[in-house]
Formats: sequence, C-alpha cells, structure tokens
Amino acid sequence: MNSPEDYRSSAGKAAADTRLHSALAKMRDKVGRNALNLYTQVDAQADPRLKAKDVRRKVVNNLDVVLTSLAAKITGRGGHVHFAPTDLDAVEYCLGVARRHGVRRVVKGKSMLSEEIGLNAAFEAAGIETVETDLGEYIVQLKGETPSHIIAPAIHYSREQVGELFAEKLGEPYTSDPPTLTAMARKALREKMLTAEMGVSGGNTACAETGHVTIVSNEGNIRMSSTMPRVHVVLLGIEKVAATLEDHDVLLRMLTRAAAGQKISTYVSYVGGPRLEDEPDGPEEFHLVLVDNGRTRILGDPDFREVLHCIRCGCCLNVCPVYLKIGGHSYGTPYCGPIGAVFTPLTRGVNECHHLCQGETLCGACKQVCPVDNDLPRMLSLLRAKLADGDPRWNVRPQSRGTKAAFAAWAWIMSRRPALDLLLRLGRAVQRLLPKPSGWIRRLPGPLSGWTRGRDFPPLAKESFTERWARTRGRKA
Amino acid sequence: MSTVIERIRKALHIPQGGLSEDTRANVVFAKGAGWAAPAGDVPAGDLPGLIAQIRTEAGHLNLQVHECASAEQCGAELAALAEGRRPEWGTARQVMCWSDPVIQGLGLEARLAGTDISVRTVPERERFDETERAEFRRQVVDSYMGVTTADLLVADTATLLLLGGRGRGRSVSLVPSIHVAVVPVGRIVRTFRDALRRLDARGLGLPSNMTFITGPSKTADIEATLVHGAHGPREMHLFLLP
Repeated sequence: MNSPEDYRSSAGKAAADTRLHSALAKMRDKVGRNALNLYTQVDAQADPRLKAKDVRRKVVNNLDVVLTSLAAKITGRGGHVHFAPTDLDAVEYCLGVARRHGVRRVVKGKSMLSEEIGLNAAFEAAGIETVETDLGEYIVQLKGETPSHIIAPAIHYSREQVGELFAEKLGEPYTSDPPTLTAMARKALREKMLTAEMGVSGGNTACAETGHVTIVSNEGNIRMSSTMPRVHVVLLGIEKVAATLEDHDVLLRMLTRAAAGQKISTYVSYVGGPRLEDEPDGPEEFHLVLVDNGRTRILGDPDFREVLHCIRCGCCLNVCPVYLKIGGHSYGTPYCGPIGAVFTPLTRGVNECHHLCQGETLCGACKQVCPVDNDLPRMLSLLRAKLADGDPRWNVRPQSRGTKAAFAAWAWIMSRRPALDLLLRLGRAVQRLLPKPSGWIRRLPGPLSGWTRGRDFPPLAKESFTERWARTRGRKA
Repeated sequence: MSTVIERIRKALHIPQGGLSEDTRANVVFAKGAGWAAPAGDVPAGDLPGLIAQIRTEAGHLNLQVHECASAEQCGAELAALAEGRRPEWGTARQVMCWSDPVIQGLGLEARLAGTDISVRTVPERERFDETERAEFRRQVVDSYMGVTTADLLVADTATLLLLGGRGRGRSVSLVPSIHVAVVPVGRIVRTFRDALRRLDARGLGLPSNMTFITGPSKTADIEATLVHGAHGPREMHLFLLP
C-alpha cells in the first residue's frame, strides 16, 4: 500500500500526464456520462437506483440468513463452501485446495478480491503458475503491474504500449492494431486455459434462494476458467449476495449498464456446484470462498454499513474528477477511486489511509452515478471527521492537534464580531506586503503556506460588508 | 456455525433485534407483486415484433440471425455455413452438437456425409468416467463449430439461456470458434425479467450451471476499443425455427 508521501508524489506525476488523462477520458465518455441515461431504460418512472439500493439494503441487513441459504444450496449440489474470516485464511484455503489436487497451473478470471487478499503472490511463492485471463489483467500481469481500474485494468496503456509488450513477452511481431493484439492474447491464453488444473474467479453477485454464484463477463475467459479446469474456486466478499432471482433482475441490469454501458454482458453465468454425474464436462470440484476480511466490522457500524451495498461496477471512478486526473495506481490499493477511498481506510486503518479519504473532493459526482445510490461523499466526510476528532471504536487517533486547535481558535473568532474585525484589519495590513500577480495571493506566509501550495488565495476586500453597511446604510455608495 | 456468520449476527445485533430467523427469511426471500404470476408464452401475434427486436439487437452484437421456414431449410443453411468456414485451430473440420431433438431434426450428419466435415453429438450417459470425459474434452477442443439450442431466447437483448444437463456440454457453446444456436420461436420471451421468472417457476429443478449468452465473445480492454472474438466464440449464429 502507498504511504501518504507516495500518494502525493505519484498523484503529482499523474496529474501532469496528459496521455493518462485522455485514456481515462474514454471511460468517462463511453461509460460514466451515459450511466444515468442508461438507468432510465431499466425503469423510466421510478429511479431504479433506489430499487437496487433497497435490494442491497435488504440483503446486507439479513446477511446471516442469506449466506446460510446460499451455502446450504451449494453444499446440497456437492459444492464446498468455506467462510474465511481473514485474507490469510482465504489464501491458505485456496492453497490447500491447489495442493490437494497437485495443481501446477491456475487460470484466473478477473477478481478484485483476489488482489485484496494477495492470492497471486501466494500461488507464485508456492510454485504454482498463475495466469490472468482477462485481457486487461493479462496485459497488466505481463507488465508486472497491478490493475488501475476496477473494470478496465489496463486502461492506462496505449495500443502502442500493448503492442510493444506483446512483441517483447510473446515474441509476436509488433502491431498496434487492437483486433490483432486481441487475437495474439486469444491464442496465448487458450492453451493455458485448456491445460490448467484449477480455475479461480471472482463473483459479481450470488443468488441465495437457488444457490448460484453469478458472474458476468464479455470475453468468455471466466466461462473457460470455470468450465475447463478440474477445480473451480470462486472468491466472493460476504456482502456480494442477492436473495432471489427477482433481485437479480434489477441488480444485473444496473450492474452491466454502470460498469460498461451495456444492456447485458455477453455472458451471465450462474455457477452452483460441480459437474453432475451425467454431465460430460464442467469442474469435478467446486469451492466457494466467502471472505470477511474486515467486512463484518463495517457491518457493525450503521454509519458505514452502506458501503457494503457496493456492487463493484467501477462507475464512480469514471466520473471522479480526482481519479480521472491521478489514475488508479496513485491510490496504491486494489480498490481505487471514490469507493476505494471509503472502503480501504475502513479495512486497512483510517490513520494509515488518511490520504485516500482526504484526497477526494466531496463533489458528489460518485453518488449521482452510483447504481445503488451509495452516499460516498457522506462517508468520506465522516472519515475526515473521525480523523479530526479521533474515534476509539475504529482505533482512529486525532490526526493533528495543531489543526484541531487552529480550527477551535477560528471558530472562537468567527463567533465574536470584534475579534473578527481585528483579524481582518490585521490581515489587510499583512496582505499589502504579499505579491499578488493577477490580483490573487500566490503564497501565504508561515503556517498558512500549506493552504496555497495547490491553490491561490483571494485577497481580503478593502471593506467588509458590515463596515460598508455601517457607512452607507444600503444607499448607493 | 462458522465464525463469520457469528460475527455477522453480532454486527447486526441479532438476536437482540427481536425478529426470528424464519421471519427474517420470509422478508428477505419474499417475492414482489406480479412476480409469481405465470409468465406464459408470448402470443403468436407478437412474435414478428419480437423477432424484429432480436434482429435489431443482434446487429449491434455481431450476432447473425437466420430465420428459417422449416427444419429442412435450417439444416441446409447450417450445412452450407459449416462448409464455408475454415477451422481457426488445426486443420480438421468437426462439428459438435448437443444431443437434442431440435438439432437431430436438422439431419446435419446426413447433409455433411460426403464432405471432410465430421459431425459428433454429445454422448448421453448416466455417468462419465475420467477417460470418457477426457475423450469428450478432446472432441470439443478439436471442433471448429458447436451447435446448441437454447431453453429461452430473450427478445429485449437477443440473449440465449442455456441450461446445463445431460447431453449438453457446457463447453460446446464456448470452446469452438463458431457457436450456432438453433431455437424454435416458441421459446422467445420478452425480457430478462421474464426469463428469470420462468427459471423461478421451475423451483428447485435448476441445474448446477446456467448461462445467458448475448452475442459472440468480445473485449474492450485495449483503449476501450471494441473487438469481437476474445476467449469464447468469435462468430455466432442464431437460427430461428418455426
């Protein structure tokens, strides 16, 4: 994870990277901007975001009932269900399955949760070849990097960069033509997917009443990873479940629109256990790993429970003015953008990740496009309040006694007119000495200089409104 | 009881919340008004409009629609399609078909008898041993075309629903480069919602694997540029039967 200093320096670099900005603008224009229009296709009368939110709230508030049903149905079909309290436990379980089957190669469908728990590194350390099969993930893996977007992991690469990468790593002739590059990956990965002993994928949601994990994809790599290897393991956050098929109606239609601007994705797979005896193909063994890793702690706080409604569509990234300038890598965590700025501090420490929730602007765009109407700005503000005041419940230490004292003094002055007038007079005297190119103060002195590091400051007016009113009584001066 | 479930109950303040587990289950699994009403077949008079909708959607998806007046015509067109395509992997030409009356009615094997194309059908057995599964897998990997039917066809998005089961390999609609689905128009439903209602009406009879398929596989992972033919079929045909 990035330290606050890393965040500042990589965000600073990215903020000047115009090629990155135009790459990210594609997601903004193709997906982010259209999201609201597309939602009206789901329901033009009532706001379908609110319906989706209800579906999510109902499940999250009854998570024990829903998960118990899901687990029982899957076990009933001969699948294995494991509840993992921590990331380490989840990784250990996956390694155990791989060892029992003597797995030498694992093919993976895109799973942000596997990034969260660090599965690839653990597999590689155990000598198991781990191949990402989503094209974007594959590019990122060949490059030795991590995804920079929840949905479009390699969005930060140009076609030329992908061409050079494939020429170097796959020994293919250089081209920058996306169809040709896709065909190269298709060929290279087909062999991997047909020979791997184990497939690992994430899940987009699950259906508790029927006992299926639901996985959407466009490429077909997830169907490959869940069909061809002998063992299929699904990693699912405990909160990413739906109760009924009826809930899937609104949820899936919102998900594919929010994530990719699609009415439906190419594949929507319902996977509910191993191959049955009379089926000629499909996995011999099916494992569902339900991962907590800090989620029940969030569940226990009604102020933050809402963040568990998230369906990981990534739409908030595509409209976030901060994400669109600094890109996913600056965040330094698997979940980036506004959702990451709330979820990561809650799971990895608010003090340790203070830069994430303080880096966002609170502009509210993420709430507007969220398909489940998640109020991320509210939760960002709340995290900042905890950083200011401290909160033993979340083990948050007050971030800065100095800042806190300064704001207390500011509040004292603001509520006492004579004190404010005195301060204004003092300020006008001081600002005469400061350079004001184009009428704005470029740099404030002393401890206030931090304020002007990234922005200019408007000079104080010669006369305050109160002074002017006292002089003119509302007549034209 | 797993630790995680215990933690969840504690986080939700259960049982202090008062409601019993059964009561909560009734709430969370309750069906909405209008959901349970049987979603019957669409009236024959609506079919032309729905087929037109499928054609429109298919155009965006790179899915090719063939409307056939008879199984005879469908069989002939499908055989011609198979003859006109070269395999993407290897050189031998093999077609793998689901074991299904709709497909058997096309007489593909007889139509392609004089050519280099071999036609195989998913074996139906009570159980498959390791060798039989490996053999089936090899057959599918060696096929350049997979022929399936669909249990439902959603007009709103031109989406096929394929249920897993006996005589129906999951890989047949996935591994071959060309996927052909032969679907009687009586299986058309209007919306994804209607398809889910039909599934729901089956109750506990849902198979281990179900897949909704909308067009050939695609990706937009390089510069958000749409490319057809990612890891699944790169070409897809829908034959509509009366």
